[in-house]
Amino acid sequence: MMTRLATSLDRSSWIMFALPWLFWPAMAMAHVGQGNVAGGFLAGVAHPVLGPDHVVAMVAVGIWGAQLGAPAIWVLPVTFPIVMAFGGVLGGLGVPIPGIEIGIAVSAIVLGGMIAFARRPPLWVAAVVVGVFAIFHGHAHGAELPESANAISYSVGFVAATGSLHALGILIGAANRWSAGAKVLRAGGGVIAACGIYFLTGHLVAV
Amino acid sequence: MPAARAGVAVCLLLAAGGAYAHSAARGAGDFYAGALHALTALEHVLPFVALGILAGQQGRKGQPVLLAFCLALAAGATVAIWTPPLPYVGLLNIFSGILFGALVAAAWSLPMVFCFGIAALFGLTHGFANGAGMIAQTRPYLFIPGVALAGLAVTAYALILTDYLLRRKAGWIHIAVRVAGSWIAAIGILVLATSGAAILRG
Repeated sequence: MMTRLATSLDRSSWIMFALPWLFWPAMAMAHVGQGNVAGGFLAGVAHPVLGPDHVVAMVAVGIWGAQLGAPAIWVLPVTFPIVMAFGGVLGGLGVPIPGIEIGIAVSAIVLGGMIAFARRPPLWVAAVVVGVFAIFHGHAHGAELPESANAISYSVGFVAATGSLHALGILIGAANRWSAGAKVLRAGGGVIAACGIYFLTGHLVAV
Repeated sequence: MPAARAGVAVCLLLAAGGAYAHSAARGAGDFYAGALHALTALEHVLPFVALGILAGQQGRKGQPVLLAFCLALAAGATVAIWTPPLPYVGLLNIFSGILFGALVAAAWSLPMVFCFGIAALFGLTHGFANGAGMIAQTRPYLFIPGVALAGLAVTAYALILTDYLLRRKAGWIHIAVRVAGSWIAAIGILVLATSGAAILRG
């Protein structure tokens, strides 16, 4: 009885999982005609999430914040979106910042290194490191804002996705409480720095 | 502004008529048109939410700020009956979202005069932008209360939720409220930049 119940539950949960995906294209299509609000939101969410260099650096910001503890852990999520938006303004207005993609790869290396060596610099140093990355990150996305998308829903999606990636990093960083977790985090920092080096070589070869 | 004040008084008098029309299930459509005009645009809803959170952060004395905002919305929409659409009011509305959001992120205890001042000022601009959506066939005495009550409802829900959250002991919940303001400010800055870029490009 129990196994039957379990399998039926399992099947229904699969169906429930599959249903939204079935309707997804239809939903998206239905809204695009109406001022592209949903399309703008999806584009805004997709933009930060689909760039692996951004994802890695953003999760790293969250993990490092958790490793640093108070007050960094609450200064970070409150100030990062506003600094990032400032970078987005520069990008949207077409103010050039040279070497954006290289800067993002370097910030992944620096943030990963900070986590791997468990560095705890003064708050203002951490703020500058994270702030530079925030401006690069915002600039890269602000410069690529699609003309057709609804600007507000795009920004909502963009900011929400960025904030959620931070939150993910902070949640992962909660493992810092346990000594084994702290070791795993530091190893993860090494992986993040390695990803940064990979992105960097990709850009250097491309240039 | 005696004219605006008289307008508000007239609207409040006629709002009873609006309710009567609703109960007769006839002609109340313009009330909902006004409410939906405000509720279906993120450029209004996001600043409304931020103002509600800001008022909630100020504690019990923040509640009358929302009434002032509601009256200012009605006054602004009333002014729009006689005034041609003004350019850049939309940008002011986006700016209000940045200001309210940044103040929520800062989590300061603000002087009440300042709170009433920004609520009244940006209530006028949001009300004006909504009032400009009326066409010749729209009945203002239904549309304007719709706008004002939609603004009151959104800000009041945000205030109630904020009040509930700030009573929790966990420190991260207080940070989460500030983060919400930071997000709204960031969204406003990005939108203002893109609108500004569009204006610069012509």
